[in-house]
Amino acid sequence: MQSNPKSYFLVGDLGYHAVEAIEQEFPNRFINVGIAEQDMIGIAAGLALNGNKVFVYSIIPFLTMRPFEQIRNDLCYQNLDVVLIGAGGGFAYGVLGPTHFALEDIAIMRSLPNITIFSPADETEAVLQMNLAKHIKGPIYIRTGGRTAPKIFDKRYDLKLGKGKIMCEGEDVWIIATGPILGEAIEAAKEFAKKKIKIGVVNMHTLKPFDKKLVASISGKSKLIVTLEEHFIAGGLGSLVAEVMAEDHGTARLIRMGVDDRFMKEVATTDKYARKILGLDAMGIIQKIKENL
Amino acid sequence: MKDKLENIAKEVRRGLITALNPGISHHIGCSLGIVELLTYLYFEELHVDPNCPKDSERDMFILSKGHAGIALFTTLAHRGFFDRKLLEGYDQDGGFLPEHATTVVPGVELSTGSLGHGLPVAAGLAVDFMATKSKRRAIVLMSDGELDEGSNWEAIMFGGHRKLANLVAIVDKNGFQGYGVTTDIINLGSIADKVRMFGWDAYEIDGHDFTQMKLAFTQIKQSKSGKPSMIIAKTVKGKGIAGLEGKFESHYHSIDQTTKNAILTEMK
Repeated sequence: MQSNPKSYFLVGDLGYHAVEAIEQEFPNRFINVGIAEQDMIGIAAGLALNGNKVFVYSIIPFLTMRPFEQIRNDLCYQNLDVVLIGAGGGFAYGVLGPTHFALEDIAIMRSLPNITIFSPADETEAVLQMNLAKHIKGPIYIRTGGRTAPKIFDKRYDLKLGKGKIMCEGEDVWIIATGPILGEAIEAAKEFAKKKIKIGVVNMHTLKPFDKKLVASISGKSKLIVTLEEHFIAGGLGSLVAEVMAEDHGTARLIRMGVDDRFMKEVATTDKYARKILGLDAMGIIQKIKENL
Repeated sequence: MKDKLENIAKEVRRGLITALNPGISHHIGCSLGIVELLTYLYFEELHVDPNCPKDSERDMFILSKGHAGIALFTTLAHRGFFDRKLLEGYDQDGGFLPEHATTVVPGVELSTGSLGHGLPVAAGLAVDFMATKSKRRAIVLMSDGELDEGSNWEAIMFGGHRKLANLVAIVDKNGFQGYGVTTDIINLGSIADKVRMFGWDAYEIDGHDFTQMKLAFTQIKQSKSGKPSMIIAKTVKGKGIAGLEGKFESHYHSIDQTTKNAILTEMK
């Protein structure tokens, strides 16, 4: 926003203790539209229609689901430069429960033409993707995790749009993960490494465009692919990978790890605990792989 | 002005009927009812240049009731935004013009078709015009039934709070909506009173009377209130065609070739 005077930052009455610095530095280009998400996306479209780059921040369900049709018609159909920054991918909002979880957003957002979808594993990746976003035309959705998501990358790297990052090479078994839950996959791979079993881990930080080539190449040379995501199994990363594997006739089998078709009733104060009870933490992954080897 | 605009409106209305694909095109009544409003806007009020549709100083008009696309397309063609011959492709397989407003058409600022989208987008435009100290205006034409959509009221609150004096919403009050009479479905009572309470100025006019349109816009320009404006324009659905005037059915029903020919003969 510093280098581009034709840019705005919008919030829907959220961002307490997070976006104040932006408001202070750019009082004329920071707009709190109120608790009115349909209006928020419409206003973003209007600003972008007149040649501005617009950033919109909110919690994922309020950012993507409440105003979904505005995103489809006013942003994607018109192909406008609006960056939707979503907070709380998966279970990041912990005790706030299912209304604040984001377990459907990938499924609905990936169905839209023109949009780019990023799913950073940590803050470093989110920064790298925000930098990329400056140069991408059209709408962008960045699905970030919670503020407490642990660090995975110590320093910035050359993140490429639509190219999955291999975190470690594998042989027969590969895990493809997206978002902060990538940390669990890395931990599981380390456990196997102690027993001299090489498990590959792919970080799918971009979901649209999707790195079909990488998935096809892995499925052609391995026996088992496990997808891992904090999202409902239907329509998320697992579905994206399954689509590629169904078309490419690889040798690998597929296991999709994510949230089953139900709303969570259990209370979870952290995403870590939610993953544990749903078998999506490192222990759960190890067990799942052992069962299927 | 009045005579000139009346002649243009007559031409636009004839062009609109000519463009209809018999048995296929719908939303005829809702399109006919806004011919005068669009004629006034494009031939008298809006600062737009058909030779430079993306001119950086232009006013921006959004047809939020996108289902009346043919009224906008015909007006734009008559104003010189594109060749009138292209109207022949309206609602035709492989044609250039679909039923709903689309930015594929030169001069159309926003693709619409789902109700309740135009006003929030116009509010975004108005904010930007204001922030950049531009004299440009954002003008939306919407329907009275469309005011059922909550997104409009979000934008009405926003516009009132932000004092978007460069924002004008025109409501085509034809008294009908998708399933019947507006007052039977969600009776809004006085729209003017409602929006005034939300911090807007409101004007009630006859949506087929050019003098009243001119007067309303003159008052808006001279106003020092700093508020956004809503013009509630009472219109007749199907205006100008005896068999369609004031008829709810003119929302959905298409007309056959014989009827179309008869209407065109009558219009000569």
